[in-house]
Amino acid sequence: MKKEDKGVSYLVVSVLSLLIFLFLWESLCRMGFIEPLFLPAPTKILARAVKMIENGQLIQHTLASTRRVMVGFMVSSLVAIPFGIFLGSSRFFMAVFDPLISLLRPLPSMSWIPLSLLWLGISETQKYSIVFMGSFAPSLLYIIEATKSIDPLLIRAARNLGASKLDVMREVILPGALPQIIAGLKVMLGIAWTCIISAELVAAREGLGFMIMNGKEYFQTDTVLLGMVMISITVMVIDIVFRKFERSLLPWTR
Amino acid sequence: MKRKQSARTGYLVGLLAAVFIIAGAVNAVGSDAPEKVTVVYGGSSWLGHYPAWVGIEKGLFQKRGLGVLFQNFYASSGRMGSLVAGDLDFASTGCISGIALMASGNKGFMAFGTPDSYATVEGLIAKESIKDIKDLKGKKVAAPFASSAHVLVLDLLEQNGLDPEKDLTLLNLRVNEMPAAMSSGEIDACAAWTPHFNKLLNAPGNHLLADDTQFSLYKKYRLGPGPDLLVVRKEFAKKYPNTCKAFVESYFEAVDLLIQKPEECADVLVKLTNLSKEDQMSVLKDIQWIRGSEQKALMVQPGKFVEGMQRLAEFLVKHKQIDQAPNVKDWIAEEMVP
Repeated sequence: MKKEDKGVSYLVVSVLSLLIFLFLWESLCRMGFIEPLFLPAPTKILARAVKMIENGQLIQHTLASTRRVMVGFMVSSLVAIPFGIFLGSSRFFMAVFDPLISLLRPLPSMSWIPLSLLWLGISETQKYSIVFMGSFAPSLLYIIEATKSIDPLLIRAARNLGASKLDVMREVILPGALPQIIAGLKVMLGIAWTCIISAELVAAREGLGFMIMNGKEYFQTDTVLLGMVMISITVMVIDIVFRKFERSLLPWTR
Repeated sequence: MKRKQSARTGYLVGLLAAVFIIAGAVNAVGSDAPEKVTVVYGGSSWLGHYPAWVGIEKGLFQKRGLGVLFQNFYASSGRMGSLVAGDLDFASTGCISGIALMASGNKGFMAFGTPDSYATVEGLIAKESIKDIKDLKGKKVAAPFASSAHVLVLDLLEQNGLDPEKDLTLLNLRVNEMPAAMSSGEIDACAAWTPHFNKLLNAPGNHLLADDTQFSLYKKYRLGPGPDLLVVRKEFAKKYPNTCKAFVESYFEAVDLLIQKPEECADVLVKLTNLSKEDQMSVLKDIQWIRGSEQKALMVQPGKFVEGMQRLAEFLVKHKQIDQAPNVKDWIAEEMVP
């Protein structure tokens, strides 16, 4: 069997598996085995989606959350990449910052809400900061590890040929670590999305996190599930765009 | 030998008969005793839970053979969710959550009373520069969404011709986050309930713009935007009728105590609310407690409270908070109303 044919058959298996799962779920709901409050049928979720697309709310919520995640994540990446490469290249400065990074790493984004409110109030900046704090430490660690994984021989060779420390970082470490950094950032983008519920808990009136929590308040479980599905779909779409960007940024890895 | 055997048999029969008689007597005496001695009640520091707290602290449940565990929930929605999930047996809930759960079609709970009527411990507080509701145009107003305070704001805006989507910025904010937001100037007005309402009102630069007495349904039904509703898990009520009876009797005995001896109750309530005794007495003064003997008229016949709840459900549909108005009467457990 050709490679392309195998790929198509696996795709068919995946689609069929999803359809069977949805069919089972719908059947169990219709037969009364599942209480709608706890898990509404897929058709109910779809009906909610149609209603919210018609009144424009679904697009509005999706765009608001995407903006918050992308801004928070971009700022986090722009800070984490140079800082991570720097720390990965210097054992001394790694030792200096290691205790602080170890303290920050396990903190969930939700734990930053009280401080972010005090420091930044209830503005959009507060929401960006929640995404930033939720994704910064894990991104930084990933980049540090990617930097450390560069073959030291390459660095020594560059130094022997007269490259300065900055030249080594720019010409050896960054291109060498970039594939791993990009791969790590793709994972971190998913983590950044998990922060959106925390970010939109306070003083939000739009966004998928807000939509989920508001749906919960009114026992509209179909709205809650729709919000979750939209987060998954949005991350998938961003992932596809990210992969195209990755290919253009790293042509030597093709 | 045969005589000894028949004597032994006689003793055994006599002993068994005595055991059955005693068991029957005990059963007859204990037939009203609660079937389940531990009950979980969902509450918070809101005034709607005062009778439950007083009942626990003053041993009113205990004297009827009940132990009540008071489980704290910040929001009514969480409380109601836990009730229908089976983690709570009784609760008092804001009507909004009760109606929202009814609208979802869930029949896992029933309502049997309303403990209080309040109109001056919840309201819209604004900066002193804002003199009128109309002055809120272009401003930032905060309210905890899906709450009575949120409904109050929507109603006040509607009465004054303001659209919450277009004419101002209405933000979702928890009541305990409002003082910081008001003092930093990030919001211009907020809607809250006691005890946070009292703290906000006492903060310098703030004043009361409107309270529940200005709510449109209050004028006709004496119903605030989110009156309290006493609820029980349906399965629990069916399985343990004696326990429910004991709970309801104790609960309304606590209501009577709140009416007759508010100061004595305030001493135990401050443990729940963290208010000063002075503030606690001030809150108690503003509450109109509804006795057990008054419940039937409100909940069953003529059922004005239930009618008011139906109008509130229609209000929520009009403001797109719920999809459809439930038939509220279907959730009233008339047999449990004292």
